[in-house]
Amino acid sequence: MGAGTMSVGTRAEVVDTLEKAKGELQAMARMVESKIGLVARAFEGLAGHTDTIVSLAAAIVGCVENESVSSVLPKVQTLGAAARVFIADRLQATTGILETVTTEVKLLRQLSRVAGDQEAIAFEIKALSVLTNIEVARLGTVGAGFHYLAQELANFSKSVIEDTKELAHHTDGRRAAIEETRRVLSAELPRLREELARIEVELGNALAVVDSSLTQLSSTPVQLRTCVEDIARQIAGVVAAVQTHDITRQQIEHVQEAFALISASMRNAGDLEDGVVQELPRAYAGLTIQIYQLRSVKETVANWASQIKTCMTGILRVSTSEVVGIGPVVLEQERKVSSQLAHIELLERESQAYSDKIQRTLGGLSNLMQLVSEHLQRSKSVRDRLRLLAFNSIIEASHLGTQADAILAISTSIKGISAAWGQITEQSGQAMQEILNLVKQTNQVMEAFSEASNERLREAQVQTRAALGNLRSAAEFAASQAQQMKAATEKMQAQIAGVGKTGDLLDACFGRGDAVLAEIERLRRQLEVDHPDVKERYDATEVEQLFSASYTTEMERDVLQAALRGTALPVAQPTFAGNSVELF
Amino acid sequence: MKRILTVDDSASVRQMVSFTLRKAGYEVVEAIDGKDGLAKVSSGKFDLIITDLNMPNMDGIQMMTAVRKLAGYAFVPILMLTTESQAEKKDAGRKAGATGWIVKPFNAEQLIVVIQKLVK
Repeated sequence: MGAGTMSVGTRAEVVDTLEKAKGELQAMARMVESKIGLVARAFEGLAGHTDTIVSLAAAIVGCVENESVSSVLPKVQTLGAAARVFIADRLQATTGILETVTTEVKLLRQLSRVAGDQEAIAFEIKALSVLTNIEVARLGTVGAGFHYLAQELANFSKSVIEDTKELAHHTDGRRAAIEETRRVLSAELPRLREELARIEVELGNALAVVDSSLTQLSSTPVQLRTCVEDIARQIAGVVAAVQTHDITRQQIEHVQEAFALISASMRNAGDLEDGVVQELPRAYAGLTIQIYQLRSVKETVANWASQIKTCMTGILRVSTSEVVGIGPVVLEQERKVSSQLAHIELLERESQAYSDKIQRTLGGLSNLMQLVSEHLQRSKSVRDRLRLLAFNSIIEASHLGTQADAILAISTSIKGISAAWGQITEQSGQAMQEILNLVKQTNQVMEAFSEASNERLREAQVQTRAALGNLRSAAEFAASQAQQMKAATEKMQAQIAGVGKTGDLLDACFGRGDAVLAEIERLRRQLEVDHPDVKERYDATEVEQLFSASYTTEMERDVLQAALRGTALPVAQPTFAGNSVELF
Repeated sequence: MKRILTVDDSASVRQMVSFTLRKAGYEVVEAIDGKDGLAKVSSGKFDLIITDLNMPNMDGIQMMTAVRKLAGYAFVPILMLTTESQAEKKDAGRKAGATGWIVKPFNAEQLIVVIQKLVK
């Protein structure tokens, strides 16, 4: 088969193949343009949601950066210290009160014994009064002076019996009340110890949570800035990649124009073999250039399509960033501190009720002291009068001589009773002193339950409540922001599938470009086979002028040089930064 | 709010320019080629124009030459945003009245900084 015959046949194949390729590239360009539009819209949607999320996160960060929120930790620390002191004071006070109550029980027993002894003496005095009356009757007028003694003894006896009964009544009542208090305190002490230990642990935990939350919150501005910078970089990457599409679009358009040019040249070469043979080298060179252009397009497209996917995925990362989790962190912190404050408030209320009960119980101690004091005064008075009575009656009985021996014996007994009474009064005095000491000790112990003591805790509670109020406001704000963030994140997630699908469609579109490239490469090989000298018979400068006239990018010109002069095929590097403005 | 006109025959490039400028707080109007751009400039007031060079119907240089003749547009900044980087093309752009030249793809951050200075 001769070269000329082959050329005429080849011409038709070239024209046909190029027209088909041109049509394919046109269809591909339309599809790509449409898919790029979808990608750009999806990108704008993602970027919009990202903006929303970042703005919401920035608002939360701004809110938690507020000084009043960051002061929560010292406030909770102060509250913790106050609560510890509050409980420890009560624990110590309760231990002291228990000791007081135990001592009081002993004193009450002592007083009961005193009352019993006094009552026994009262009966003895009553008996002496009866004996004195008998003796007065026996002595007749001589003993009339002792009638007063009998009457006085009767009065003493009656008065002392009434007095001791009253004392016994009070001490018995008091002992019952105090036993109840002692039982309550004995049960309360272990509970208080447990409570103190629990508060230590819980406050420690709450402080650790608040501290850890604040540490986490304090890092959020940096996280936010990093997140914003990362998103800005990804957005810049997509913006640059979509623009790079415009460069490949122009390259593809120029390849189509070149196909039309080659096709027209071949068609215009006429049916003469010479014309076709002369045109074939230029067509061959033109095809070579277009093959290089399509290879360059393929590589560039792979770069920017990959860049778009990477950057879109990068933008989606915001939905899982720590910045998005800032809302729940604030909420958790508020929940823990609130729970701790509520617990301390409950403890304080319980303690108040308990304190009132102790105060009521111990208040009775003052009444007892009053009672014992009065009783002691009366006892001293009885002692003194008994001494006087014994002294006078002994003198009178001595004047009467032997006939008043019985009266003398009675008077001597009164003297003995007076001494015994004095001893008992002494014991009452000691008990009185001990009760006075107890009252002083109790007053000191009860200081722990005083308003001043409560005030320290209350002040810390007020301050914590105020700080908590700020934290709660921040938490409520964070919660509402977090809700909106969640909604924006869900919308972003919903778009992931769409973006992925569009990416696949883009790959499919450029698959048509691969088919065109393969067909043109096949055609060029066919030309080489049919016309082995076709490679040497074109003028590179003429071909360059012919095909580069419509070129609008440096990339195209560099690719042309690689095709015609064997320079390196330029590689389109993915760019995130883009080019700067050159001002004139 | 400052108004900016973006002229490009590529819808996706217009979209990216608009996205970048709107995000920076500008009002953006789009035109699909030089002819459309000139019509929009003639019927409205713009503080800055960003135009492509190679476009069907009317290219960027032709549009810019016509715009410079319109009342009130002698000193309005016009930036060329193009795939072209040849010195002779830039020279032609400067002579036609371009304020600056950007080879696609543009650096969004830097573009905004320049625009902020130009429309101040």
